[in-house]
Amino acid sequence: MPTKRILIIDDEETIQTVVQFGIQMSAGWDVLLASSGAQGIVIAQTEQPDVILLDVVMPAMDGLATFKALRSHLATKHIPVIFLTAKVQTAARGQFDGLGISGVITKPFNALHLPEQIARILHW
Amino acid sequence: MKILLVEDDDVLIKVLTKTLKAHHYIIDAVKDGEMGWTYGSTFEYDLIVLDVVLPKLDGISLCKRFRAEGYVTPILLLTSQTANSAKVQGLDAGADDYVVKPFDQAELAARMRALLRRGSPNPFPLLTWGDLMLNPSTCEVSYRGQRLDLTTKEYELLELMLRDTQHVFSSDELLDHLWSSEKFPSEATVRSHIRRVRHKLAAIGAPQDFIATLHGRGYYLKALQTEVAMPTITPPPLRSPSLEVASEPKIDCSHDSTSSLPVDDRSTTAQQQYLAFLNETWTTTQPDSIDQVRVLLQAIGDLHADQLTPQHQTQAQHLAHKLAGTLGIFGLHKAVHLARQLEHWLGGQAPLPANQAPLMKGLVTALQQEIEATSQIQPSQIPSGQSPLLLLLSDNESLNHALQAIAASRGVQVELVSPLALDTTLSALDATIDEIGQAPDVILLHLSIDRAMYSHLGQAQPPSLLQICTQRYPALPIIVMGDRQEWRTRLEVARHGGKLFLDTSTSPEQVIATVVDLLTRSKLPTKVMVVDDDHHWLRTLPTLLKPWGFKVTTLADPQQFWTVLQAVTPDVVVLDVNLPEINGYELCQMLRSDPDWQRLPVLFLSALTDASSQQKAFTVGADDYLHKPLMGGELATRILNRLQRVQAYQG
Repeated sequence: MPTKRILIIDDEETIQTVVQFGIQMSAGWDVLLASSGAQGIVIAQTEQPDVILLDVVMPAMDGLATFKALRSHLATKHIPVIFLTAKVQTAARGQFDGLGISGVITKPFNALHLPEQIARILHW
Repeated sequence: MKILLVEDDDVLIKVLTKTLKAHHYIIDAVKDGEMGWTYGSTFEYDLIVLDVVLPKLDGISLCKRFRAEGYVTPILLLTSQTANSAKVQGLDAGADDYVVKPFDQAELAARMRALLRRGSPNPFPLLTWGDLMLNPSTCEVSYRGQRLDLTTKEYELLELMLRDTQHVFSSDELLDHLWSSEKFPSEATVRSHIRRVRHKLAAIGAPQDFIATLHGRGYYLKALQTEVAMPTITPPPLRSPSLEVASEPKIDCSHDSTSSLPVDDRSTTAQQQYLAFLNETWTTTQPDSIDQVRVLLQAIGDLHADQLTPQHQTQAQHLAHKLAGTLGIFGLHKAVHLARQLEHWLGGQAPLPANQAPLMKGLVTALQQEIEATSQIQPSQIPSGQSPLLLLLSDNESLNHALQAIAASRGVQVELVSPLALDTTLSALDATIDEIGQAPDVILLHLSIDRAMYSHLGQAQPPSLLQICTQRYPALPIIVMGDRQEWRTRLEVARHGGKLFLDTSTSPEQVIATVVDLLTRSKLPTKVMVVDDDHHWLRTLPTLLKPWGFKVTTLADPQQFWTVLQAVTPDVVVLDVNLPEINGYELCQMLRSDPDWQRLPVLFLSALTDASSQQKAFTVGADDYLHKPLMGGELATRILNRLQRVQAYQG
């Protein structure tokens, strides 16, 4: 699989670190990190990643708001977005329907398996 | 690894030197900032540890001076000031990390390892080269899983070389890195250490020249041999068709440290690296999490006094959510569960009534205990880790018991859904699946449970558990246990998607063996080799077959057929009929006449639809014949069908 660039938007530093390590370890992809929706949007615009992994629950600007903002910008509207969400919230998954997100990955996950999951969701 | 410690407290120097030596670091300790500068600018270090408060020149100024003079050595600050301004000042001065005194020895060691890793070209917590593995956090070295007993110097030598496997180390460099600046050993000392390490490596089965000599230059780790059996064939590059014909299959012989490992070893190594990384991260996450729990306790205290503002309640809720997310990464299921409950309560009624405080306090205390009790992350904890999950739907207690014991010995996790009240089975199934946080890899359904359930519900016919399972997990293998004699039952099972039917008399050992067999089958990607001179088709095919997880190798030139076949060792071959020079029939005949390849499934895929072309294909030994154009799904189904037959014969 060719090298991909992934942007992770998650306010948890530990999750960022572990995800970055796991993805690089198992697939060697480039991982970009953002700690907030606002930061993520800027990075997405300038770096044009192949996919964005977006935490749903974040303070200030949550995942949904971030996603809508990404969709409204010309430079980022085409980038596929996968939501990261806790298992208990899967029941509320209906709220994501019709938004145009590419998929959902539930926490907790093994970061080593993320590239495989992402590739499967996006048919890479 | 050589470390410069600049610290004026004698007791601390003693304690740190002892700890660091236990980790095989070489320490130079000096007591004031000016000496720190003299040593740091004269000798080479892998890490500098600086106290902030120092005589003559303080740590922050010293740090700034190193950075201003272009020294990029990682710097770790020791500070007694918890105030954020001091940390910010230190980081702004160019420090890479800081630890607040009094510090935990394990945390300091972990932070130092992280910094050393950042400075080295090898970013992984476990250092490996071929079959050699060194774990810096436990100081253990092994070759092919066999423990290697090394002296401190020998260990340091290997660690240094493993940190930069592309580097040739001169004797001078080794002297600089491995001996503290008070000692002046000779080049002969280096040679004798190299000789001893080589000897120990060879004794345990490593090649004599694992550490090779480059005359006049120094020593290096020898590039690994790529095994001939494991090359990676890349499909013909997607360039213009005219170039493509001439292009030869590429064999990837990259000599990176993992390329020669078989796939399984590689993923095991990845798991080990991941676990080691989680453990490293945990040493810093644990104190952070405990701090966060304290904030939660504070909030509960406020609640008890009826002083928790809605704003603080929301903050506490966010904190609980973050904790659950973070702890989940480390697989602390119980702690995650507690944090989620807290999140749930805090997210409810606002403001919370004060009488909820005792309940919440119980949760927070339990959470705190869980976090504090976790000193190490175990491999079995890692979420959806390497061990596959068997979902067991059965009320046969003795069988369940036996299956669980045997599964554990074969590395398979079991989640049991055993209904006490039958009509709650469905919700129990849902709840269990949500709780385990991992989708099952295989389902075993004992029919008695199903039968009992729908008779209880007054339904003569399904929707049965089997149907629900197949609907929920359409891609999952489902094993059904029932009475083999009952023809109608077997029919029902087949109709509703049961993959395998086992008789109730099957021994638990056999059941688990079947599970393992199913699991290993589905894990390995199927390798498909396609020979066709239609370049457009070859280009689109890998994409078409991708959703089914096939590994596709395409080949346009039949002259290369045998070479690529041997290299790829495909599980199935798809041949076009009309090919330049050698046609598909001839290729098929070649396969059928070869003892190694005569059983390989061969599918023909051709634009020729006439009966005689098809007939000829079957005569030369084809297993199937398909017409172009066709959809990816159709081809995938036919390929999978062939493979299932083959596996059934072999099994």
